[in-house]
Amino acid sequence: EEEVVEYSKSLIKGIITERDALSNDGDRAIGLFAPSVQELLVIDDLLFAMVGIEGKSIRITREKSRDKALTFQVDPSMDLSIQELTKRVLPLCENYMVVSQFNESRLQFKYGLVNHAFAAALRAILQDYHAMVAQLEHQFRLARLSLQGLWFFCQPMMGAMQALAVVVRKAFFKSLSGAAVLNLLQGQAAAIAGDNAARTLLQKLTQAASAPYFGILERWIHEGVIDDPYGEFFIDENKALQKESLSHDFNATYWQQRYSLKNDVPGFLASAAENILTTGKYLDAIRECGQNVRIPFSEDAKLTNSGSKRHYLDKINVAYNFASAELLSLIVRKFDLMGRLRSVKHYFLLDQGDFLVHFMDIAKEELAKRPVALSLEKLQSLLELALRTSVAASDPYHEDLTCSLERSSLMVQLQSFMKNGILKIDSPLESNSEPGSMTGLETFTLDYKTRWPLSLVISRKALTKYQLIFRHLFHCKHVERQLSGTWQAHQATRGLDFVGHSISRSYVLCQQMLHFMQSFEHYMTFEVLEPNWHIMDTKLQSAKSIDEVIQLHDFFLDKCLKECILLWPHILKSVEKLKSLCLQYATAIQWLIPSLYTLESPAEIKKTKRCRGQRLRMVKDGEDANFKNTIGQMENDFRKEMKELLSLLSSSSQTEPYLAHLAQGLQGQH
Amino acid sequence: EFGDLTQESFELSEAALVRDVLYACQGIDGRYVRFDKEADGYIVDENLRIPRATRVLVRRLCEVGWLFKRVQGHISETLEQGTMEVIGTVGQALSSALQEELSEYYRLMAVLEAQLHNQIPFLAVGETGKSVGNYLSLRRLWVWLAEPLARMRLMAVLVDDCKCLRGGAMAGAIHAHAQHGDPLVRSFMSRLLRRVCSPLFEMVRRWVLEGEVDDLYGEFFILAQPVKAEALWREGYSLQSGMLPSFIPEPLAQRILRTGKSINFLRVCCEDQQWATEAAEALAAAGASANAGSLGYGETEVLETLVVEAAGRIDRHVIKIIYERYKFRDHCLAIKRYLLLGQGDFIQYLMDLVGPDLSQPANTVSSFKLAGLLESAIRALNAQYDDTEVLDRLRVKMMPHGDGDRGWDVFSLEYNARDPLTTIFTEQVMGSYLRIFNFLWRLKRVEHALSATWQTMKPNCSLGRPWTSVVDGAVKSQLVAVLRRCQTLRTEMNHFVTNLQYYIMFEVLEYSWANFLEEMEEAHDLDELIAAHEKYLGSIMEKALLGERSQLLSKTLFTLFDLILRFRGLADRLYENAREVQTRGRNATKQHTTEFFATMGEEMVAIAAEYSSLLEGFIAQLPVQQHVDLKFLSFRLDFSEFYTRQHMHTPNVRLKIKRTATPKS
Repeated sequence: EEEVVEYSKSLIKGIITERDALSNDGDRAIGLFAPSVQELLVIDDLLFAMVGIEGKSIRITREKSRDKALTFQVDPSMDLSIQELTKRVLPLCENYMVVSQFNESRLQFKYGLVNHAFAAALRAILQDYHAMVAQLEHQFRLARLSLQGLWFFCQPMMGAMQALAVVVRKAFFKSLSGAAVLNLLQGQAAAIAGDNAARTLLQKLTQAASAPYFGILERWIHEGVIDDPYGEFFIDENKALQKESLSHDFNATYWQQRYSLKNDVPGFLASAAENILTTGKYLDAIRECGQNVRIPFSEDAKLTNSGSKRHYLDKINVAYNFASAELLSLIVRKFDLMGRLRSVKHYFLLDQGDFLVHFMDIAKEELAKRPVALSLEKLQSLLELALRTSVAASDPYHEDLTCSLERSSLMVQLQSFMKNGILKIDSPLESNSEPGSMTGLETFTLDYKTRWPLSLVISRKALTKYQLIFRHLFHCKHVERQLSGTWQAHQATRGLDFVGHSISRSYVLCQQMLHFMQSFEHYMTFEVLEPNWHIMDTKLQSAKSIDEVIQLHDFFLDKCLKECILLWPHILKSVEKLKSLCLQYATAIQWLIPSLYTLESPAEIKKTKRCRGQRLRMVKDGEDANFKNTIGQMENDFRKEMKELLSLLSSSSQTEPYLAHLAQGLQGQH
Repeated sequence: EFGDLTQESFELSEAALVRDVLYACQGIDGRYVRFDKEADGYIVDENLRIPRATRVLVRRLCEVGWLFKRVQGHISETLEQGTMEVIGTVGQALSSALQEELSEYYRLMAVLEAQLHNQIPFLAVGETGKSVGNYLSLRRLWVWLAEPLARMRLMAVLVDDCKCLRGGAMAGAIHAHAQHGDPLVRSFMSRLLRRVCSPLFEMVRRWVLEGEVDDLYGEFFILAQPVKAEALWREGYSLQSGMLPSFIPEPLAQRILRTGKSINFLRVCCEDQQWATEAAEALAAAGASANAGSLGYGETEVLETLVVEAAGRIDRHVIKIIYERYKFRDHCLAIKRYLLLGQGDFIQYLMDLVGPDLSQPANTVSSFKLAGLLESAIRALNAQYDDTEVLDRLRVKMMPHGDGDRGWDVFSLEYNARDPLTTIFTEQVMGSYLRIFNFLWRLKRVEHALSATWQTMKPNCSLGRPWTSVVDGAVKSQLVAVLRRCQTLRTEMNHFVTNLQYYIMFEVLEYSWANFLEEMEEAHDLDELIAAHEKYLGSIMEKALLGERSQLLSKTLFTLFDLILRFRGLADRLYENAREVQTRGRNATKQHTTEFFATMGEEMVAIAAEYSSLLEGFIAQLPVQQHVDLKFLSFRLDFSEFYTRQHMHTPNVRLKIKRTATPKS
């Protein structure tokens, strides 16, 4: 191939280089002839010059200033008026040279399909031009052609060739290819909109040049395949991104960056570029699901650049609608998206909490261990047990639920989440700063196995958000359970007559704490999660594309995170403090209340059963004082913290009305 | 005057030049225009006096001739002089297609030649008295030759590029050239490709429908090798990626390969004739466009439909034959039941039956006798209701034995799979089964031994009781201590063996089998079936710790087995003596008994120590095996955290059972 190409090139150069071989034919200078003969000679030479060959009186010179630019020079000895007329025709010859050189070079493979098609269209025009020259020669042979006549006949070609040369020069010097060529053609056509003939010509060329481009486009929007041997298409495929990354990488950008737009989008497609990208992306996603989908289209629906813009934009829209509907119905129907989301909601948002209660009962001891001593396998098997013995067993997807242990506390995780949206693995420094008292209860979290294509919606990022909410809820539940335990402990003392004893104060405090925890949980589940879920659920019913679904789902999660005050560190800190107070209280009571009885041995209880009044005396004064102090201290702390929280809530409720709801719920006791 | 001038500068008439150019265009030297080696092109004779412009024009026109010479040269080289072995049918097709294109060109030349003699029609001769020129001028010729030039260039490029290529590779190269934006190039190339690819497509058609490799000159992308029947599927045919044209995608090629292979498999290994009707049906389903000779380039879709239809039918047929006529499923089940010890009663009975024989040294064991015992085991049990075809294939196999080997070490069962199932059950596969069997057999034997020990212990448990005052105090307390040690050790071992066996039987064998059954259902062709079977076998090997990566572990395991067997011997001796002591009562020489029990006690302690260190090593290695999920095994073995706690009590031994961190997802 090289050889052939080289040969063709050398032929073109030969026109110039063969000048050395120029034999001085001993010709007389043209000026020596009579003007009428001069005219005939010039016409003959012009006919040569018009196809890029220099003759006796018209020479080609290469101008040094502009490289590769060729100009024709007329023998100065020629009759002045003839010379002037000849010079008028010369631009045509120069333009022809430019166009024909471009045409020869751009047919090579490396320049890409658009250039090929463009060059082919140019070749057709040049062929017409050559035919015109041959006609002129014919007329000339019949002695019917004068220089004036030549000038007249060349008129239509002059303009066309001029317009072409302008375009071609630009394309040549910038060595454009692909969409850039199309943009150039279109731009030029618009720029010379006044010149009707030239514009039509350029439009025709655009149409021809864009034919292969539309071919690529057609395969992309009908089959989701990039059939682009020379890299001209405006969509770029990044093969390095794997769809599996969605289910384990928090920052996975598969969906966003697997296919992306390049910079040079052809102008006539710019408005639809996003749609085109999405259409093919959807089709590709369908194929990745193992389905083979081809958009049904009739033969006459072939995409062309002819006719109005509406024509092909409509086609693109039809394809887009089809692809998005197909993918969405595939994911919703075959992969049961809603069922999956509901299943995730069961576990992470605790909408059917029985499994959790069961789990917390059986895993109590394991979870109370330090994180290093925890056995994940044991937790996993306990979790499975809990799942199988609860309502969750009827959920077909419950086997995908697993558990895992985080390394950092919820606060730390949230901080890094808010800081950069990236969940890094904690550096040792951070984990050192953690309080050493973390147990499995603080680090336990659920996990969920998702597979393509559901990982599009339930991606690692979405799951992390679910996990944040879950950890928060889980810990609240834990605190509530502890307080309930305290309540039970108090119930045991009911039989005893503790009138006037500080235990009743403790009882009140317990109720306050319980009220706090329960109203907080009530707020999160019934005022945040459920309504938002319902809003999302209704919106999802009418969603048109998977992108919309992803967006709705993300919006739901973000809203929940925000309204569950997870994104308000100062409020959350206050809540955390209250929770830790509750836990402290619960632990203290569990130690203190038994210490009140220990004074009574079983025998004594038997004895004192008859005379209840004596019992009170059995409590040591010292113990009571101790108890009183502790309770009093805690009561103060709790009230103070509560006040602080309420003021925090009310100060922020101006901008975030939902906080006012929470404040109201909590305020009932004050 | 102008006429004179022209006459003057032209030493010869334009008509003569045009004539010569036309000759040159056909690669023939004319009177004035000749091929010049130095300039590598046709030029007008230097000595003639003609204007330079004309010279240039002639030279440009003659480019067609230069290209034509190349193309023509190639065609004549291949068609006339070349041997078929070098060129191949595809090369031949290319040449003849080019030849056809050239004949178009010849016709044009003839037309031009005819025009050459036409005078300009409108010219009134009388007006100027002489003819000014011919109708066909050089410039007009330029218009005429523009399209042939473009075509000729393409052909020349093709000829240059395909010179050294053959077969599918050549078709691929031409296909690469067809990726061009110029509609002219595209249509030209696809016309050419239709011709060029027709032999290839015919080969594909024959292969897919009849299973014949019709490829005399090695151009097809499927390579056939003469092999024995059982290796036909795996080694008989292969894809030659070099010969695969780029327009046939790799998966399609694989499918094509498999379809033909299936046909050959049916014909050679299964002696089945049914496939022909299936193929005919496939052809009918694919439509008329897939008929002989009408399949061509650019109709990859038609080819695909044909291949998909044929492949679907043939594959289904192969699977049906494998399942129904050759009862693949039954054989797999039989292998699982007999070789993988799935049939409990059979194995138990067989072990009881052959046990005594196998305790003999390996070289004295008669395989005939064992075969007889196997037969009687089959007769006695549920196994007798099995298909005789299955039972016939079950054999006893004695492995080569070394010094000191017992019958236990060399005995194994073998399942004799016949053609065509040997395609699936290759020798290598059967070797794997054998290894698994040996492992299981050994495990079973150890379990058997421990049970036997239990049987000895149970009736003698009264020995240790406080109220059997047959022996005097000192000996008695010693005896009780030793027996107790023995009991605990046995229980510990039993715990280990039972759990290991549970793991192997349920977590490994049954789990893999269930997966295999599922995949068997889903397998659409023989390749998938083979892959599923290999996956099944591989998963058993891996999980039963027989794989490459768990060699260390399995070595420890076998040492443990040996130790347990040694323990059995010791326990037997101990109980024998204990019984003796009991029967002899107080008359026994106290000295001797004390000594004996002391040594027994020591040995027992030694075995216990060795056992616990070995087991500890084994358990510690379990988490290291990243490739298999052994968490449940270690979880079960150390269920009550007994071993973990034991480590905590011995502080100088570092904690070996580590909690592995969250498994990397």
